[in-house]
Amino acid sequence: MSDNSSGKIGQFLQGEKEPSSSWVILVIGIVASLSFLVIYNILYPGQDLPVISSVLPMFEGVFDSGIWFFILGAMIGAFAIIGTILTEAAIE
Amino acid sequence: MDTILSILVIFWILIFISYLLMEKGLGVFGQVARGLTMFLLEKALGPGSDLVEGRKGSGAMVWIIQGVFWLFVSSTLTFIGLWLAHDPTALHSLEAWGYHPVSSELFYAGRFAALFGCVGMFIIGTGLHILPSLLEVDLASEKNAVLTSFVWTISVIVFVIGSQNPEIGPINVILVGTVLNSVVGLAIIANQLLTKANSSLSLATPGWLIIFGLIGGPIAVLSLFLSGEFDTGLGQWLFYHLFSATFFFSSVAGISLYSASFGSGNALWSRTVAGVVIFGTLFTINPLGLANPSMAVDMLGLSAADLVVSHQDNVAGSFFMALAIIPIIALSSNILITLRGTDVFVENPDSAGIPEINFGAWMLLPLGIGALFIQTDVLSGKNELTGLSNILDLMSIWTILIPLTFGAAIQVLPSVSGRYPLSQNRARLSFWLISAGAVLGLGLTMMSDIADAVLLEALVEEPSVLSHTLRKAGSVIFYGVVIGSIFHATNLYSGMYRGAKVDKSLSPSETTFAPKSYPLTSTTTIRKILATGAVLDTDIIPTFESNEIGSPTPINEEE
Repeated sequence: MSDNSSGKIGQFLQGEKEPSSSWVILVIGIVASLSFLVIYNILYPGQDLPVISSVLPMFEGVFDSGIWFFILGAMIGAFAIIGTILTEAAIE
Repeated sequence: MDTILSILVIFWILIFISYLLMEKGLGVFGQVARGLTMFLLEKALGPGSDLVEGRKGSGAMVWIIQGVFWLFVSSTLTFIGLWLAHDPTALHSLEAWGYHPVSSELFYAGRFAALFGCVGMFIIGTGLHILPSLLEVDLASEKNAVLTSFVWTISVIVFVIGSQNPEIGPINVILVGTVLNSVVGLAIIANQLLTKANSSLSLATPGWLIIFGLIGGPIAVLSLFLSGEFDTGLGQWLFYHLFSATFFFSSVAGISLYSASFGSGNALWSRTVAGVVIFGTLFTINPLGLANPSMAVDMLGLSAADLVVSHQDNVAGSFFMALAIIPIIALSSNILITLRGTDVFVENPDSAGIPEINFGAWMLLPLGIGALFIQTDVLSGKNELTGLSNILDLMSIWTILIPLTFGAAIQVLPSVSGRYPLSQNRARLSFWLISAGAVLGLGLTMMSDIADAVLLEALVEEPSVLSHTLRKAGSVIFYGVVIGSIFHATNLYSGMYRGAKVDKSLSPSETTFAPKSYPLTSTTTIRKILATGAVLDTDIIPTFESNEIGSPTPINEEE
C-alpha cells in the first residue's frame, strides 16, 4: 500500500470536522438510558438493577456521602488539568 | 508606651530607613552589594542555574501558571471544609487510612493554599513582570525567579501538610514551611531590588506598592521581635495584621492598579489617590483577616498567647483600623474609575481579567467595613461577632484577594507567554462560576453562621434546621468555584500553546498612551471611537471610498 493511501485511511479514521448536530445523538443516548431505567422500575417495581446492584454494595460504608460525587468531579478536573498540560506540550 | 504604638513606631522607622536606602543607595558599598547579590542569585546556585534557560518573562510565567494550579487546589480544600461543616462524618471512610478530616483543618489547609499558593504566587509572578516594565529594564535574574518558584510551591505543600499534622516527630512542619518560604521571599526581594537598582527611572506608584508589599513582611517580623512583644497576644495580633496589610493588601493594590490601567488602556485615574493607598497601607492597621492570629503564630513557631488589651491599646488599635478604610476606599475607587475611563470597559467588558478586577474592587469596601466591625469587637473584648470572623475572612480571600490577583495575572500572562487564553468565552464563563459560587456559596454560609450565633446567644440548644439547610446549599454552590478554577486552568494552559499570538506592536487597548490617529472607514458612533482608546486630541482621518459602480477591469486599454 502506498504512502498516499495510508494517509487517506488515517483521515478517514480520525475525521477532520465535527458535525454541528452530533450532540443530538448524545442527547438521544442519555434520554434513552434514563427512559429504560424508568421503564425497568415500572415493569419490575422494587427489584434491584442487574449487575449494578451487585457491584454497589462493595462501596457501602465507603462512598456513603454525597461529597464523593463532588470529589470525583474535582479528581476528574485535576486529571483534566494535568492531561491538558501533557497533551498540549506533546502536541507541539 | 502601649504595645500597639511601640510596634508600629518600630515598623514605621524600619520602613522609612528601607525607603531611604532604596532611594539613596548604599553609597560606595552599592556596587559591591550589587555584585554580591547577583552572585548569590545565579552563580551561587551552582549547576542548578543551568537547569533553566532564563528567557525574558519566564520567571513571571512560571509563577503565574503554578498559581493557577493552586487556585484549583485551594478551592477544592475550601469546598471540602464547607461540606464537612454540615456533614462532619462525610469522609469517615478515610479514617481507615489514619486520616481524620475536620472542617476547621480543611479551612486551614485551604487558607494556606489560597493565600500563599494562589494569591502569593500571583502577586510575585505579576510583580516580576510589572516592576521591570515600569522601570524599563530586564529582571535582574530570570533564572533565579524560575527556580525559586518551585521551592515556593514545595513550601506551600509543606504548609498544607502542616495544617493537617503540625508536628511530625520532633519537627514543627509549618515552621519548616516558613523557613523555605522566607528563603524564597528574600531571593525575590533581592531580585526585585536589584532590578530597581539597574534603572535610573523614577518608580510609578504601583511599583512602590509592590516593593513595600514584599519588604513589609520581613520588616513586620523584625518589628515584632525588636519590640519584644512576640509572646503577647496583642503583639501576635498586630503582626498578623501588619503582614497582611503589606504582603497581601499593598502588593494586591500595586498589581491591580497596574492591571486596571494596562487592561483597560486608560491612564490611572488619580496618582494622588494611589499615593493615599501607599501612605494609608503603611500607617494604619488593615482590619481584613481572621480575629484569631493563629496562622501567623504557627508560621513563626511561637506559642499562642491570650489577647489582653489595655484601654489605651483598644483606643489606638480601633483608631488605626478605622483609618484603614481610607486606603480601602481609595484603592476601590481608583480601580473602578480607571477601568471605566474612556468607556473601554463598557465596550469590552469580557476581556479576560478585567471582570475579575472589577469584581474584586467592588467587594473591597463592604468587606473592609465588615472586617472593621469584627476586629474592633475583638479588641474591645466583647467577642459578640467572633463567630463571623471565619466566613468573613473566607469572603475576603475569595471575593477580593483572589479576583484582584487572578485578574492581574490573566492580564499579564499574555505579555510574558506571548499568547492569549484559548477562549475568551470560557474565561468569561469561569469568571461567572467563580464569582457567583463564592458570593452565593459563602453568603449562604454566612447566613447560617449568623443564625447559629443568634441561637447561641438565645441559649437555644437544638440545632437549627434552617441553618443546616443554608450551610448545605452554600457548600454545594461553592462547588462552582472548583469548576470555574478547572475551566480557567485548562483554558490558560491550552492558551499558552494554541492561543492567539500577542501582537508585539502596541494596540490601543494594551497601552495607556492614546493613539494619535483613528482611520474612519464607515459610519460609527463616538462611543466606539472612544472605546479604541482615542481621546479628544486624537485625529479622525476619513478614509474615502469610491461610489462608482464596479465593472470588469480592462486588461489591455489599447484593444
